[in-house]
Amino acid sequence: METIPKNEEPTVAPPVERLAYSVQEAADMLGVHYFSVYRLIQRGKLKTCHALRGKILVPRTELLKLLETDLR
Amino acid sequence: MNYYERPTPLQEQANREAMQHFTEHLNQFKTNCGALHGIECNLSATANDALKSALLVPGRVIQTDDGTQWQHDVDLSNVTSVCHRHTAAGVEFAVVECLPLNSREIKETLNSGHNVREVLQAFTSDQRQVLSLWKEDVKAHVREHLGEKYPRQDMGIVVESFEIKMARAISETRMHAQSQNRGIRI
Repeated sequence: METIPKNEEPTVAPPVERLAYSVQEAADMLGVHYFSVYRLIQRGKLKTCHALRGKILVPRTELLKLLETDLR
Repeated sequence: MNYYERPTPLQEQANREAMQHFTEHLNQFKTNCGALHGIECNLSATANDALKSALLVPGRVIQTDDGTQWQHDVDLSNVTSVCHRHTAAGVEFAVVECLPLNSREIKETLNSGHNVREVLQAFTSDQRQVLSLWKEDVKAHVREHLGEKYPRQDMGIVVESFEIKMARAISETRMHAQSQNRGIRI
């Protein structure tokens, strides 16, 4: 008698943590409008890196720092 | 590339496509330029309202994250307001931002001083810098988008046209605000 093989659960790759996010993505993570993110950047609350020919990227560490500061 | 030349049919097509792709960004940008324009045009009236409020009505208390307590005078937007507090040197005014993040609110003093008009002018000047930052970022996104859709094609003229549109939105509001403050109609 053949044994019915158990359905193997599909392996889900762990989500890759990105190093940096666009302003729109950062706004979604913080739960604010992206104009507010530009304002946080302008006054130095969020440090950015300019990669890919001038596109503003917000490092993940900066977002976490802001959220952690915010939770204190 | 000579930008005084007419765009090629491919550049015109790319421009139409990019305009469609970035419509939301452009509309949001224009809306925020308009909001800043409103604040600049009503600067004197807002300053007077804040002064009156500081002298007459005790407003609700807002405590910023550094522990300073301010009394609310006038709203500038849904996240910023003019506030005041009494100090040994006299009444101090500030533009305070209450920004609700996912976890809780950031409450921060953006600009402050004893002359409410100067505080508002410093605030609007900072907001212009924010708009410039936004403009440069959108320009970079447009450049990237066109680079992916039209590889090895010169789309500089299309990127330039986006920059001009956004710069015009900023400068139109500035010119209008300046003329309003001087009582000149244009």
